Amino acid sequence: MHKIAIALSLWLLAIPLGAQWLNLPTPGIPRTADGKPNLNAPAPLTPEGKPDFSGLWRPGPTPYTYGFDVIQDPKDENIFLPAAEALFKRHLADFRRDNPVGHCLPGGPLTILTPGLHRIMQSRTVVALLYEGGSHYRQIFLDGRQLPQDPNPAWFGYSVGHWDGDTLVVETAGFNDRTWLDMAGHPHSEQLRVTERFRRIDFGHIQRQITFEDPQTLTKPLTFSLALNYAPDTEILENICEDRDSAHLVGKANTSLELSSESLRRYVGTYEFREGSPMVAGFMGRTQTVALIDGTLYLNALPLVPQSETIFDSTGAAAEFFLDTNGAVTHLILSQTEGDARYNRMR
Amino acid sequence: MNRSMGSVVVAIWVVTPIPALGQWLHYPTPGMPRTPDGKPNLSAPAPKTADGKPDLTGLWRHSNSKLESDLRPDDVQPWAQAAAKRSAENLRTDFWTTRCLPPGPLFGLLDLSKIVQTPGLIVILAEAANRYRQIFIDGRGLPKDPNPAWQGYSVGHWEGDALVVETAGFNDKSVVDYELHPHTEALRLTERYRRRDFGHMERQITIDDPKAFTRAWTMKTAIQLEPDTELLEFVCNENEKDVKHFVITEHDTKEMHLDSTLLSKYAGEYEVLRPGREPLAITVTVVGDHLMIERPGMGKMSMSARSETTFSVSFGEVVEFVNDSHGAVSHLIMDVAGDEQKAVRKNAATAAPLADK
Repeated sequence: MHKIAIALSLWLLAIPLGAQWLNLPTPGIPRTADGKPNLNAPAPLTPEGKPDFSGLWRPGPTPYTYGFDVIQDPKDENIFLPAAEALFKRHLADFRRDNPVGHCLPGGPLTILTPGLHRIMQSRTVVALLYEGGSHYRQIFLDGRQLPQDPNPAWFGYSVGHWDGDTLVVETAGFNDRTWLDMAGHPHSEQLRVTERFRRIDFGHIQRQITFEDPQTLTKPLTFSLALNYAPDTEILENICEDRDSAHLVGKANTSLELSSESLRRYVGTYEFREGSPMVAGFMGRTQTVALIDGTLYLNALPLVPQSETIFDSTGAAAEFFLDTNGAVTHLILSQTEGDARYNRMR
Repeated sequence: MNRSMGSVVVAIWVVTPIPALGQWLHYPTPGMPRTPDGKPNLSAPAPKTADGKPDLTGLWRHSNSKLESDLRPDDVQPWAQAAAKRSAENLRTDFWTTRCLPPGPLFGLLDLSKIVQTPGLIVILAEAANRYRQIFIDGRGLPKDPNPAWQGYSVGHWEGDALVVETAGFNDKSVVDYELHPHTEALRLTERYRRRDFGHMERQITIDDPKAFTRAWTMKTAIQLEPDTELLEFVCNENEKDVKHFVITEHDTKEMHLDSTLLSKYAGEYEVLRPGREPLAITVTVVGDHLMIERPGMGKMSMSARSETTFSVSFGEVVEFVNDSHGAVSHLIMDVAGDEQKAVRKNAATAAPLADK
């Protein structure tokens, strides 16, 4: 469970430690007559008349879904080229111990996709994004410069932005290939190019569209439609990732254990949350689909790595299946650091 | 290579800016006033924001000038003095940045940082370790009893044309200067930034920690605008392989005691000559029974003798003094993990030994 604990702790970085500036009313934001932030007020403009994205933003409403696994839509399955798929499988077999975020390294495209609580600070020539997770920053240049040719590969790449009407379009390239696209372990190459489109529809809401293109890794671009919600009356906390755990990340999945398709097929079905930790249900969802594809068992979109006949590891949780005396699967228990949740088999 | 402090401070100072495949490093800074020949006009007036305040926005380098400190040995409480001595003896391996942790009150004294100023908030983006710091100028007060943080909590206000920044709520894990003086959670830092003209800013830092010092004391430094370049991403723990080698052996800590006549032979002014740029000034002085080396933006660091001519400054860094054929010291060589840099003695022929001032 240790690896899962680490994976989870990375997602729960915004720990509200001691209420400091965390409840301070944000100065200068529009408020309704009763003093509440008016998140439907018009979007503010810069002196030059461009939308001003400055503020503290929290992704929503399901901020981490794609961060767990970029493949959420059936149309995106099989989008990875064979070499990338093989590398993904190796990350799984290694229990994702090389996940850079687990070693306190920057998330790169993963942070761009699922930034957690962050501040956007916009000046005329540069936008700074200050991430709470890892306390790293990223710059987007608006001064007309072009993306560098053949840059030194960087964790966050190099970003330039331009205005398309009231939409800020940000192009990022020059990534190194050490980061992953998601916590599941999908890789990318140095050819990765990220396009972000930001539109502030009103004071409290930004629509965000993100496209990953990487001809060395993906057969076609991956596009995500996401939202950012203004986070009023709070503040970023300092969050320093001390790399104390990585020396212990020595796990290697029991890859010698190979279960036959016949023995795996009995687990295929739909499972509904029955009882247990509401955190697990909130995190993993109330319905789980187990499928068998090419001899590998999947929990939703993520492969299950067998640890025994009935126990499997997956991203974010361990899964154990239970059988009745006739050998029929009755339920599934997902375990996380927060606790266990039982899902009954529906069909 | 991970550059760790001990080595890191030095490596940043000696080795950067890294000419890594020249990307955006020679891009003309937009909005920069220029002389008719196109060169940055660093003496042009300081810019103002729309609301008439000085605009401190820009890329600033801290490492080209001396750090003046009015701290006297008597101002340091005994426990703090002992802690600083222990850290120096450990060759700075317990300096927190060696472990890729934040610099604390030293933030922004390391090399390049970018200031981005908006009406309610100023952010400092440091090249070192890709860290940021926020300074709120929206009227909020410092938090009461905050959760101790590496960078503390900062609020600013304007006094005339100076930005005054108050910071409190530090944790007690970092140090306040390169002499490795520790501090407690009671530390309160007051900084004054005054942008004199387009290219020059004065920074004054007052350190007030009644649990570590007997009085508040002040460091002053000048900061220069760095035109036509950009921050490079620097992730401290990338490919980290060093820390496990930071094992202090008896050999490392065994210090030779050299007599003061020999030490004062090394004291004097040295400079690193850099083509097309100002030389970097280095001062070696004798303080008590030790040599101290002072480098731009870094303050004084003590040196421990390893032989009659070689001295350790921090883990992996050795300074060697070299004589000319007449037996006079002609230059010194700073060796950071095999990366050598030479500093020639100023007025080598005529220099009289410079004793403790």
